[in-house]
Amino acid sequence: MKTVPPVNLLAALFAALLASASASAEVSVEAFEIEGLISPASPKALTAELEAALEVRVVDLNLKNTESGWPVLSVEFDSGKVSADDIAKAISGIEDPAGHKYQVHTGPPVSNAEYSDEEIAAMAKLGPPPPAIVPLTNPNQPTAESIAQGKILFDGYCTTCHGLDGGGQGPAAHGITTFPRQLWVWNNAPESADGYLFWFITNGRNEMPPWGVILSESERWDVINYIKTLEKP
Amino acid sequence: MAKIKPPRMKIDRKITPDKIFKVKVRFEHPSFTGLGQVDTETMPAFNRAVPVSFMRNMLVYYGDDLVSRFSMTSAIADSPLFAFKLKATKEAPVKVVFVDNAGERWETSKDVKFS
Repeated sequence: MKTVPPVNLLAALFAALLASASASAEVSVEAFEIEGLISPASPKALTAELEAALEVRVVDLNLKNTESGWPVLSVEFDSGKVSADDIAKAISGIEDPAGHKYQVHTGPPVSNAEYSDEEIAAMAKLGPPPPAIVPLTNPNQPTAESIAQGKILFDGYCTTCHGLDGGGQGPAAHGITTFPRQLWVWNNAPESADGYLFWFITNGRNEMPPWGVILSESERWDVINYIKTLEKP
Repeated sequence: MAKIKPPRMKIDRKITPDKIFKVKVRFEHPSFTGLGQVDTETMPAFNRAVPVSFMRNMLVYYGDDLVSRFSMTSAIADSPLFAFKLKATKEAPVKVVFVDNAGERWETSKDVKFS
């Protein structure tokens, strides 16, 4: 019979333990919506402190284009050692350099409670709520001709307040209580913005006149095509 | 985030019948769009940062009548001071009601007495 030296026996036992541990380790990736990411220093602070607090690895932090609009933090962890609740607790214990606490967001994307009976009665008596803006599709393709036509109309009607570059600093802007919008924010705006822009140009608001009574529908769409080409000065 | 304190109201001391009197209301309530600027590389540079918080409606009652409604957005200032005028048509309380976007309600009132 062959005897195994004690040192080899220990090594074999250790290897077996390691193998069983790796077999039971289940790596999971969970996404958390994060509240409190408020400054450019926030993502770094959150990632570093979370990885220091728990045995986890931050895989991704998506700040943009998330479904709900909230930043999404993807965390990889061993579900045998750490749970999603542990991670949520650790996140709420971290403070960013500006002094805000982070938190995992739960509930609807934006909190806007239902109107109370008192508010509904008041709105019925003193003016309706703002009208719903209907999603629309621009029938005028953003061709060079449409954009050129939009520019002519924009220069003629809009620059007085919005300025030639759309920066909201036209010659009449200093006399307006609501500062004219900086239109270059709509640069390359998606189609989903069309209904909103069309509604505003057509109906106006505050000091902005309702251009629907002056410009034809096609002209308003040309202006929208041009606005989407304005670039930040 | 700033604390919320109950609204306070001041009205003119001397109020004459059928004359105008002034009402001032101060409400310490935070107002926040909920947006933060984290990614400065790409446009638009804002993401949702914290829950939105603002006063949604301010309703003004004179006696039992609703005389004014202020409809607000998250662009309203933190802890704003509202000042407005009413015509002293009767001796009755002026009541101001605030409702925020979370549906919470606050109110304050003062009695109008002719001098």
